[in-house]
Amino acid sequence: MVLKLYGMPVSTCTRRVATVLVEYKVPFEFVSIDVAKGEHKSAAYLQNQPFGQVPYIDDDGFILFESRAICRYIVDKYPAPAGTTPLVPSDIKGKALFEQAASIEYSDFEPYAYPAVREKVFKAMRNLPTDQAVYDSSIETLDAKLAGYEAILGKQKYLAGNEITLADLFHLPYATLLAKAGSDLMTTKGPNVTRWYNELCERPSWNAVKDGAKSFSSY
Amino acid sequence: MTLKLYGRLQSTNTQRVILILKEKKIPYELVEVEFGQNNQPERLQFQPFAEIPYIDDDGFILYESRAIARYLVAAYPEHGPTLVPPPSVGVKAQALFEQALSVEAFNFYPTVSSILMERLLKPFIGQTPDEAEIATLTEKLDTRLAGYERVLSKSKYLAGDEVTLADLFHIPLLTLFGLGQIDAFTNDEKVKKWPSVARWANELVQRGSVQS
Repeated sequence: MVLKLYGMPVSTCTRRVATVLVEYKVPFEFVSIDVAKGEHKSAAYLQNQPFGQVPYIDDDGFILFESRAICRYIVDKYPAPAGTTPLVPSDIKGKALFEQAASIEYSDFEPYAYPAVREKVFKAMRNLPTDQAVYDSSIETLDAKLAGYEAILGKQKYLAGNEITLADLFHLPYATLLAKAGSDLMTTKGPNVTRWYNELCERPSWNAVKDGAKSFSSY
Repeated sequence: MTLKLYGRLQSTNTQRVILILKEKKIPYELVEVEFGQNNQPERLQFQPFAEIPYIDDDGFILYESRAIARYLVAAYPEHGPTLVPPPSVGVKAQALFEQALSVEAFNFYPTVSSILMERLLKPFIGQTPDEAEIATLTEKLDTRLAGYERVLSKSKYLAGDEVTLADLFHIPLLTLFGLGQIDAFTNDEKVKKWPSVARWANELVQRGSVQS
């Protein structure tokens, strides 16, 4: 049975998973959850995703949620496509530096990129009032954190070393919404962040799903 | 060379690493980095975000407390309890472990640490806690704990029936629930809604206090 991805087409976390499925050329069926109608909070949904969040996968009966865990599962289960290095290293030190980079994403990037995008993009989409002060302080902190990125990316190509890993790809959904939120930090903070960000944006897997997750039966 | 841990005892992120060092019985030396000294050049060269903790394991520098914990478990497999599923357990069990780790990082840590910042950090730096914000965050935490209950009513720990890093990572913030006036596990009405989580949380806090 083909892997099923349950989510919302434009959801950041759903597209994070779709990107990695496409990277690894895994066929999958995308099933759209009606978030507007609260389908993700229904008793039936909560059986599969106990926190009422999207996305989750059903891989031939194996249920998994948390987008980054799903991405790691895909990399663990499937071989890297021919001619590419795995998106997660396997040697102890390489893996440790990958985990460091993966942790940077949820400690130093998402906590600031997400509120900025929520205030100026998500709330606007739902006609809710936005909190400018939250946006301003989030961007201020993100600006400071990107100095750390600039230092790292001046010494190596990607966050975990000289090969791209999941840690880099995890940034795409929120990083690409910052411009829409009104911040050009990703291309103005420094030359190294700009180089890294532009390269990520050119990734074919991201471009295949950036406008909305959808099914892929073959590659 | 004894592993060096650069951090502060009062930092919950430093505590997270110390907890694992003690669980794994790995000898270490704590090098105290004073509050406000993170961005000294000799620190920034190792931790470019001006944060603590970071380790120096015989020349190997690593930061981010959860990454350090994962490294310690991988690099010192002979010491203490395993705390992670063994490689033989298979891809699905590994995935459920990663799912549990992600739940801590996204469904617990951000909300609880925001509440604790309001209640504990703000007074420390002369600011007033924002009660409205705390109320919103508490509501969010309660929703999340309902999710935890759905998981922990079916398995003893977050990734299955063995304790793993995913459970232990919660300890530093759980230990501050009292000081931070978070009543999730002391308010009887709330505990009725998530009895399995309360059981699990109390056990973890006990485990953490035994190690300290």
